[in-house]
Amino acid sequence: MNASSLLALFADNPAVILTVGALMCIATPRHLASPILLLATVLSGIKLYTMGLGEYGAIQLFDHKLTTVRLDPLSRLFAIVFHIAAALNIIYAWGPGREGSQSKDSAHSRGGDRAQNFATLAYPAAALGGVLAGDLITLFVWWEIAAITSVFLVWAPGTRATYLAGMRYLSIQIASGVLLLGGIVLLFRETGSLDFGLIGLRDADGAIKLSALFMFLAFGIKSAFPLLHNWVQDAYPKSTISGTIILSIFTTKLAVYSLARAFPGTPELIYIGAVMTIFPIFFALIENDLRKVLTYSINNQVGFMVCAIGLGAINGAAGYAFGNIIFEGLLFMALGTAMYRTGTSKATELGGLYRTMPITMVMCIIGALSISAFPGTLGFVTKGLIIDAAGYQGMFWIWLTLLFASAGVLEHAGIKIPYFTFFAHDSGKRPKDAPLGMMIAMGIAAVLCIGLGVYPEPLYALLPEAEKMADYHPYSAYHIVEQLQLLLWAVLAFAVLIIIKWYPPEIPSTNLDFDWVYRVPGRALTGWISGASRATWNALWAIFSGRIQAVMARIYAVHGPEGQMSRSWPIGFMALWTAVLLAFVLVLSFIASAFTA
Amino acid sequence: MIDSHQKNPDEKPGWADTKGFRNVFLGVLVVAAVGAALAGFVPAFQKDHPHFAAEGFPVFFAIWGFAAFMFIVLAGQHLRKLVGRKEEYYDERE
Repeated sequence: MNASSLLALFADNPAVILTVGALMCIATPRHLASPILLLATVLSGIKLYTMGLGEYGAIQLFDHKLTTVRLDPLSRLFAIVFHIAAALNIIYAWGPGREGSQSKDSAHSRGGDRAQNFATLAYPAAALGGVLAGDLITLFVWWEIAAITSVFLVWAPGTRATYLAGMRYLSIQIASGVLLLGGIVLLFRETGSLDFGLIGLRDADGAIKLSALFMFLAFGIKSAFPLLHNWVQDAYPKSTISGTIILSIFTTKLAVYSLARAFPGTPELIYIGAVMTIFPIFFALIENDLRKVLTYSINNQVGFMVCAIGLGAINGAAGYAFGNIIFEGLLFMALGTAMYRTGTSKATELGGLYRTMPITMVMCIIGALSISAFPGTLGFVTKGLIIDAAGYQGMFWIWLTLLFASAGVLEHAGIKIPYFTFFAHDSGKRPKDAPLGMMIAMGIAAVLCIGLGVYPEPLYALLPEAEKMADYHPYSAYHIVEQLQLLLWAVLAFAVLIIIKWYPPEIPSTNLDFDWVYRVPGRALTGWISGASRATWNALWAIFSGRIQAVMARIYAVHGPEGQMSRSWPIGFMALWTAVLLAFVLVLSFIASAFTA
Repeated sequence: MIDSHQKNPDEKPGWADTKGFRNVFLGVLVVAAVGAALAGFVPAFQKDHPHFAAEGFPVFFAIWGFAAFMFIVLAGQHLRKLVGRKEEYYDERE
């Protein structure tokens, strides 16, 4: 491959354009970082728009062709929304890191250091590269780059807590990469193919394929399957304000895309997804840190997508992923703005901000309405695709579970976030409203929430199975009535609980989740194993070192300068022994020749 | 910019803290919720081919939404007794 074809290969890949933009940030003055990042995102977006569906950037690896860019309807939708999200994040974090911030804590900074600026685009670039990958090797490379670049966002605040969380995060992400690589190797051995397409969990006989299981778990870790989910709550809320928003978008959605690509219609995903929609609701209810509430919301929302993939409703999964990136991002941005102005994201320390932050409040409410799937919002026109799919397949309990989970979404994301941030008890804080960059980013996201909610046709036209959307009408009378009944009566339940004072108060606390297993007993076990290994070594050393020293002393006594073997001998003695040896050899030779003759 | 936990005693209550707003909000909510429930009885607003028998019940979604929310809050808060620890729990152990 010559230099010009290598350059063409890179220029054909929007993910490489973003990566180059991210790398340029490292070498340029900090005040130019945001313009460079936004310019790279725009150029990459133009490239994506102009290249059209197809395969690009082929590389020959031994006897196998690698397709570094595959643009089909599924990857195109994710690529578009990744560009939108990357651009919104850059606009949101535009400007000096802490100007106007009420917090001295670096975790509350919007960003600004070089490592974070680099990761702001390098990480989305890696996720985009994974989405565009047409083969498993390319996917693996971007998968690992995404893990490594994103950890800089976790580490950005620079505290011991974020360092430890980053190390845990990195370990889990790398474990996912190792599983993916193992799965790729096994799959290649089984099929001789490296294509990133339909893999399926089971073979023709219904047995689970080991290669597929490895990849399923790799995708499961990144999409935060139950019991594999706590890296989200552990790492994401510890990042900076803009870092948390960026983190909340890409890793889990890359995993959702990968599941949709490789395991559509896998029944296990229906039940895994259903569990994912339910359990975070309860943890979110009792959580005081509202950023952590939103990370539980990520688990819940990804659960809807995973369930949709299991149901084979790829339009639902992809459409909801698109919508979720916008409206969940809007909620993270609104909460981040409140945190930027007040220095806290704890429900017990917020409240009453509507007085001086009315625009941010309106943005937050639009995000809350959208994630709750109120008619007229992006959530309504995308979530219905998933719940209807469960209905069409006659899966009553799954359908009922998803409705139950919808009420749960309303509780923690639709009500709790705006209520405890902007209303509830008055914290006495009277901060200014959002800075311009934050306001623009939130404004664009809000317009998308309402615009695509009212007029979803452009989004529907981009769905992977757009032809199936001809018969789907989200604004049918019964759909609106059903949804309004579900949501309005759930809000009524909230009002009743507040009036009779049965709604639980927020309490500053740490709520244990599954990560407790590896953070407390797991850590203690690791410490014990480390201590036991050290003690065993010391004991063995004590036992053997005496004997070894005795042997060494004996060798020294024999071979040392004063040893027997170092003694000087008279020449006559040596001559005598040489003559004896020669005579012995002579006799042996004589006997040997006598026998051979 | 005032940014303090100390409340100003002379400050007027914000619009969302007034009794009038709360009453109007509650009134609109009740009317809308009851309206949505009643709409379920209108044949034109019902699904022609429901997937499940429950969908044919005019106020099924209202009841399920209300019950689900109540259950989540009233049952879920007890989870705190099981998993709730003081804020510094992990700081003290790491």
